[in-house]
Amino acid sequence: MDNITKEQRKAALDVMRATLAADSKFQTHLNACVKCGLCATSCMYYIAYKDPKFIPGRKVDLVSSIYRRYFTPEGKYFPALFRAKDLDAKMAEEMVDCLYGGCTMCGRCVKHCSIGVDVAYIVKKGREMLAAMGLVPKTLQATVDAALNTGNNMAIPTEEFLDTLKWMEEELQDEMNDEKANIPVDQHDKKIMYTLNPREPKFFPLSISAMAKVFYAAGESWTLSSKYYDVTNYGYFSGNNAHAAQIAQYLYDEVHHLGAKQLILGECGHGSRASRWEGPNLIKHPYDFEMETVLELMAEYIRSGRIKVDKSLNTTLCTLHDPCNLVRNGGLLQEMRFVVKSCVSNFVEMTPHGNDNFCCGGGGGALAMSEYNERRLKIGEIKANQIRATGAKIVITPCHNCVDQLMQLNHTYKLGVTIKTVAEIVADALVITPAAAKPDPANDTATSAAGHSSEPAEKDPTLF
Amino acid sequence: MDIKDFEVDGDGFLTNPALWNDEVAKVFAEADGIGEMTDKHWAVVRVIRKNFEEKGNAPMVRTICQETGLKLREIYELFPLGPARGACRIAGLPKPDGCV
Repeated sequence: MDNITKEQRKAALDVMRATLAADSKFQTHLNACVKCGLCATSCMYYIAYKDPKFIPGRKVDLVSSIYRRYFTPEGKYFPALFRAKDLDAKMAEEMVDCLYGGCTMCGRCVKHCSIGVDVAYIVKKGREMLAAMGLVPKTLQATVDAALNTGNNMAIPTEEFLDTLKWMEEELQDEMNDEKANIPVDQHDKKIMYTLNPREPKFFPLSISAMAKVFYAAGESWTLSSKYYDVTNYGYFSGNNAHAAQIAQYLYDEVHHLGAKQLILGECGHGSRASRWEGPNLIKHPYDFEMETVLELMAEYIRSGRIKVDKSLNTTLCTLHDPCNLVRNGGLLQEMRFVVKSCVSNFVEMTPHGNDNFCCGGGGGALAMSEYNERRLKIGEIKANQIRATGAKIVITPCHNCVDQLMQLNHTYKLGVTIKTVAEIVADALVITPAAAKPDPANDTATSAAGHSSEPAEKDPTLF
Repeated sequence: MDIKDFEVDGDGFLTNPALWNDEVAKVFAEADGIGEMTDKHWAVVRVIRKNFEEKGNAPMVRTICQETGLKLREIYELFPLGPARGACRIAGLPKPDGCV
């Protein structure tokens, strides 16, 4: 990095000043680290590289040394004595390298911290300062820009999106042998507005038809939007809160536009977090409609008997990858297991799992940042080894970002597994009853047979 | 030719898509563990390349299936890394944005 301008430094310090004024947590956590070092071995980057720069406490120290230099009298006058550092080009470069390129904000270190320092939160604040300086890695920014400019992070034109949905709808109708089985788009006053990760329509549409099948079985009143269906929010990772707020606002406004009662967040860790937990802070007011993840919705369906699943339809040994933003940072540990264990008969946990699980290695925007591809695959080896040790042949995870990283790990480390979303596993286990969807008893057998197949669309000529 | 002869981005996608030709595709395919490029591989790569040259981006997997007549599952089997990190990379495109 050449040099940073006075304006850049001021912009970053303004972010720090505003955060200190708005949120007392920031100052507390900047001052709390006691350098015990317990966090080191909880971090995938440190485990993989053994480089002290990746110790989580040291990442916090990058941000706190700037705080001491510019916001405390002792740091201002005696910087060397109080470990206060200038925000210069070297510091900015180190911050970009460690806060974007050396942290997935998975929060595993937070659980292991003896004090409870929210390291991921401090890293996020550091990213916000870097974003104010215009230092967001190029590839991450490109993904944010696509979402801002087109409504989805892969810039899929509406017509091509609709064409893919139509394709999936035809497959579903064939499979269900029911022309009323559909994928509704832009329908007003439905109960649910459902959301997707753009990689589904673009490259991996089977998870769309899987969820449509679940909705069909539940007899749900739902719709997709043709314009704002993207559940992701890479503005949350870039650190530009104005961008994150705009993207969150798109979904908020679209729910109102379509008159839906409930926003259902598709299988995406950070996207669920960005709307559900961070959303009100981003758009500056509470959400005036219900919102939950599709995991919780499917759990309700199963618990209430609204859909019927048969775990004997999924007999292959499965394991589960906990997305950080849904489990450790999202509270869905039990709910996710309830759904998965209702649908598979042969299940094994990874070690460790749940709140102590390792990130897939692609979180925090890492998957979108080509700049750090090599690191992403290297830290991912930890996850690959965890998967291999289970002996499972299917890895289930309710996050498309994790899915893509796991696919790459599968290839790189020759794991020989299949990666599936939770909706795909539920769809495979569905037993479609006449009461749920089909009024005509004459067709019950056919429908039920399709629902029983673990490879439901196998007979379909277009798809398989 | 070796894959190390090419300038690629961090994800291994060709930095200058204009330098792409069939030989380049073969080198990238081999690096991905795809033994030999079959007619089906080529059909997918040609559709992706054509879309990129006409529209500047990767096609939907829907378009790939329609234009090649291949089934979705076949695409995933032909390119184990998927249409993006697998096929688009062999077709010399820049890495698509998003969760791929």
